[in-house]
Amino acid sequence: MIDYIIRRLIFAVPVLLGVSLITFILLNVVPGDPAVEMLGKHADPDAVQKIRNQLGLNDPLYVQFGRFLWNACRGDLGRSFKTGQPVTKMILDTFPTTVKLALSSAFVAVAVGLTVGVISAVKQYSFFDHASMIVALAGISAPIFWVAVVAQLIFGLHLKWLPISGYSTPKHMILPAIVLGIRFAASIARYTRSTFLDVIRQDYIRTARAKGLAERAVIFVHALKNALIPVVTVIGMQISGLLTGSFLTETIFAIPGLGRLSIWALSNRDFPLVQGIVLFTAVIFVIGNLIVDISYAFLDPRVRLH
Amino acid sequence: MRKRVLALLLIILMVAPAIAGCSRSADQAEPPESSEIKKGGVLNDYLEDDPNGFDVQENTFLVMYTLARQLYSTLLRYKGDTLELEPELLAKMPEVSPDGRTYTFELKKGVKFHDGTTELVADDVKFTIERMLDPNGKGMSTWLFEPILGAKKFMEGKAASLEGFKKIDDYRFQIILEKPYAPFLNNLAVPAASIYSEKLVKAAGDNWRLNPIGTGPFRLKSYVPNTEIVLEKNPYYFEPGLPYLDCIHYRIVPDATTALMEFENGTLDVCIIPVNEYQRIKDSGKYEVLEGVALNTYYFLMNMSDPMWSDVRLRKAVAMAIDKEKLVQALYGPRGTVAKSFVTPGIPGAYEEGTGPAYDYNPEEAKKLVRELGNIGKLQAWQRGGDRLTDANVAIQAMLKEVGLDLEITIVEKAAFSDARNKGKIPANHGNWWADIPDPDNYLYTFFARTNQMSSGYNNKEIQDLLEKARAEVDPEKRKELYRKIEDTIVREDVAVIPLFHIKSLLATQKNVKGIIMHPTGINIYTYAYKEIQ
Repeated sequence: MIDYIIRRLIFAVPVLLGVSLITFILLNVVPGDPAVEMLGKHADPDAVQKIRNQLGLNDPLYVQFGRFLWNACRGDLGRSFKTGQPVTKMILDTFPTTVKLALSSAFVAVAVGLTVGVISAVKQYSFFDHASMIVALAGISAPIFWVAVVAQLIFGLHLKWLPISGYSTPKHMILPAIVLGIRFAASIARYTRSTFLDVIRQDYIRTARAKGLAERAVIFVHALKNALIPVVTVIGMQISGLLTGSFLTETIFAIPGLGRLSIWALSNRDFPLVQGIVLFTAVIFVIGNLIVDISYAFLDPRVRLH
Repeated sequence: MRKRVLALLLIILMVAPAIAGCSRSADQAEPPESSEIKKGGVLNDYLEDDPNGFDVQENTFLVMYTLARQLYSTLLRYKGDTLELEPELLAKMPEVSPDGRTYTFELKKGVKFHDGTTELVADDVKFTIERMLDPNGKGMSTWLFEPILGAKKFMEGKAASLEGFKKIDDYRFQIILEKPYAPFLNNLAVPAASIYSEKLVKAAGDNWRLNPIGTGPFRLKSYVPNTEIVLEKNPYYFEPGLPYLDCIHYRIVPDATTALMEFENGTLDVCIIPVNEYQRIKDSGKYEVLEGVALNTYYFLMNMSDPMWSDVRLRKAVAMAIDKEKLVQALYGPRGTVAKSFVTPGIPGAYEEGTGPAYDYNPEEAKKLVRELGNIGKLQAWQRGGDRLTDANVAIQAMLKEVGLDLEITIVEKAAFSDARNKGKIPANHGNWWADIPDPDNYLYTFFARTNQMSSGYNNKEIQDLLEKARAEVDPEKRKELYRKIEDTIVREDVAVIPLFHIKSLLATQKNVKGIIMHPTGINIYTYAYKEIQ
């Protein structure tokens, strides 16, 4: 197991290098000068050159990329062009908020998605099955900004049960977690239903029933664990996605997370911040995938990690 | 039971959009009448973006300017919501020499910074100006002080100090300009010209941007990045009895719809009203709705140096093809007025509202010109990514189609757009200009001087000479005449720009909030604001 993890982490190095290089190239190929963006409407050529020199943008590209890599290896992702703050600090300041939002919405997604998926499969073609799958389809299709505004209006403005925006107390997290979680719950529910239906038609489930096991034991002991393996992949990927920030949810609910920071960095052409966030995001995905792969081994003893 | 719950949920989802259009009916009760109303309280406001620091010299965004107006002071400021200058840190209005080059200033005595001990002196003014112009600094609004004698040399690192600043004593100093520049005093009222303390800035070093210490009516109490900024009353403020508010609590709320809901919920005291909500908010009668004149012009600019747009007949045809009345009514309703001039009415020397050199809507004449032009192919214009100008652009496109012109609009990402504008590469665009200072120079020089900063490609040498002459002219009447001639030529003869409309600023406040000044420069001033407290 340890060998497997070490090997996977070694394989991650070229992935992270590739991601950094592609980001660096893209940022430099796309038109738009950070210095002009910083100076705004009164930008004049002398001032632009002054800022470019200060930011090291007049150095050859390979020097700029080399500098980034060298510093990144030492844990220094540089300083933001715009704020002058260390990029690592800016990312780490916003990441805990994103983690809070990601975990709470993942909790909503998994709890609702798995429950609805399992019930739908067990009660196939019932009213619940049809209704929940229609709602799930609507949940996947409805744009998140629409769901968010509707939720704010109903539960914040009219019923006054929850705060409309902000994130200072746990109560503030409920609405965004539900809005973001419901969307993923819908896809988890549909996935769970379909894999569960496959599993409960297997011979070993029939055997379990034939030997007189209670239906609850058949479902929870024999079927669920086996049905979960593909679902775990979906959940794992989605949690990795959630951990890298949800720009729309964070913007609508005024949550200072990584998603908002990414967009802010991009629209300000803050190269070091964009590069830092992309590298950080790539690391999250690599680790997320690794955790998913390891979790297979726990769920299915037949899976061996080599 | 389950079926009922499900049905109820579905109904809620279906009726939600309808509820969205309704206003809150329950609370927001009027305060009980009382004869003992005190001025003060905590104002709950919001900012759309985090300024990420409080150094107004390195950030020119409106968010920063808004905060700077509360934290710092400038030598001069605007009186109330007018465009008339009055002394702020100065004891009296500066004396100007007859040649318009030398300004003599006298500071108020006893003005204290937020620490309560450091007193404002003339050296602080010199330090502030030199810090902005420092070749190794981060000053972004160098244009404010560039007219000062020796500024260029100083900015190039060829001079150790600014030649045009002469200290007389601790409270008096002179500023000498390279050549006369009539709007100079307006530059000193821009928030970016806020005066810093040399001692305190040097002591704070890199921490300055997060620990600002000014002379403004409020001082920074706390700052949580991307979440909130709390300002508290400055007990050492130089105007006795002011400010009234105990605190301003700014939350960072990037989404306009969320801000409006927070406002209707009573958790915000102030809200910028989205155009489509204006009538509903006003008709509800629950809030104060403030309408303020704003110095802006929405325009359609065509790059005269671009071969596609170089024929004046084409530009004239475009000017006459756009039905501005219809456009502004559709987009902004009562909030907008048709523009007849590029320089916004109300600015000294500008045309009065409803008058000006711009062409009126005349589709027949436009069609005639298009026929004369023959087959000119597809025209190109850009739209800056992130700007909410799509509706206007689509309408302009449709109006041009009516007279036989085929306009293609490309949305170009914000930073790429700025870069191209700086290089003069934008073929044409619909945009807006919000004035930094209330002077025709801020519009006409910025767009049409030799530098071509806004990608106008303007190349009428005679007018460009007049632009130089007008900014140096100190006689207001002569300046006015010059700007009339300049604007008439640019808008009527050369048709380099088509003024479309101007819009007002709209702000809603809770009923107990009073005294906010909505200044035409787009900044809300809270020095005299208060909440009525029982």
